Amino acid sequence: MARFAIVFAVVLAALFAAELTPPVQSAFVVPWTAGLVRLSAGLIGLFDPHVATLGKILLSTTNGFAISIEAGCNGVEAALILVAAMLAFPAPWRHRALGILAGLMAVQALNVVRVVSLFYLGQWNVAAFEWAHYYLWQALIMVDVLVVWLLWIRTLPRAR
Amino acid sequence: MAAVDPDPAARPVNAAPPRIATLVLRIGLWLVPSFAAWYLTARFHGVAAGEAAHALMAILKPGLVSALERQGSDLVFVTTLLVHPAPGETGVLVTEVNPLLYTYGLPLFVALMLATRASGWRIAAGAALLVPFQAWGIAFDLLAQVGIRAGPAVSVQAGLAGWPSEAIALAYQAGSLLFPALVPVFLWGGFNRPLIAALAGSRQRGAGYASEQTARAAAPRIGSSPRSQQ
Repeated sequence: MARFAIVFAVVLAALFAAELTPPVQSAFVVPWTAGLVRLSAGLIGLFDPHVATLGKILLSTTNGFAISIEAGCNGVEAALILVAAMLAFPAPWRHRALGILAGLMAVQALNVVRVVSLFYLGQWNVAAFEWAHYYLWQALIMVDVLVVWLLWIRTLPRAR
Repeated sequence: MAAVDPDPAARPVNAAPPRIATLVLRIGLWLVPSFAAWYLTARFHGVAAGEAAHALMAILKPGLVSALERQGSDLVFVTTLLVHPAPGETGVLVTEVNPLLYTYGLPLFVALMLATRASGWRIAAGAALLVPFQAWGIAFDLLAQVGIRAGPAVSVQAGLAGWPSEAIALAYQAGSLLFPALVPVFLWGGFNRPLIAALAGSRQRGAGYASEQTARAAAPRIGSSPRSQQ
């Protein structure tokens, strides 16, 4: 546990600090966030044509309601936590790589659900939007990270 | 008189860890009442986080905060910084912080612990361990308002211009983006190491989980009558 905690903290601190630097923001975080917005808009467009995007902004052309995907909502921090947890836990590198790949997809899939749900929740009720945005979805995304990690450690080969 | 079982986790349980699907279902079910209770009692648990943040501020920047007041569930920090809202007018800078932004990990932690049938004292101990991290978030929210968002005149007056504002920005990001949701999950993991080891699939570790559960079930209970131990 102590080894896991130390490695996890060091890896997470390094990844988090790197994420906040301007080069990583411009090369990865900003394009990633724009891609998340486009993906969310594409999914919404399957059943609702009244949606538009502008960079990191998702906009309803019906009523003008818009949400801007900021840090904490783009799933990057959740992804960093998952990566740090998988790197810190003793496992073969092949399992780590597969776990990170599948885990990131699972976390981002739920994050798209979060963005789409908040887009409609905000158009319905701003108070409900803020409650879900600031508190509930943050917790649910972390539960998702935990569940993905638990599923991953269950697939690891048994120690001999 | 019937014996009182103080620790539900000590009841005899199967040696095998719970299925993850079952665990997820339990977490989901406990999240609803946990969040409801947390929101309805915000005025009370916000006091602990607010007072801890006030104490932390006295360490981080002594003399910056003169008083802590409440406005609903919001925390109102009265600073010693002078501002001039209009020509000829002078006042002190007052900043508000919504503590719920930093305490929502509490219902998450409670739901996780209840989903794994943790005892009350473990939940209380974990909730207490969350407070310093909640205080961190609140204190650096306040410092970010004073040292960054209020503008250069205020940050210079507060002595937070230059590199301190960079450090505040980093600490604020950690306190708002990482700690609130991560620390509860990490604490839950600390309280459930045998479960995690069993899930990892190691025979040795899995046996450890089973033996701990068995030992818990066999151990004398505090408060049990002699008859109940026979």
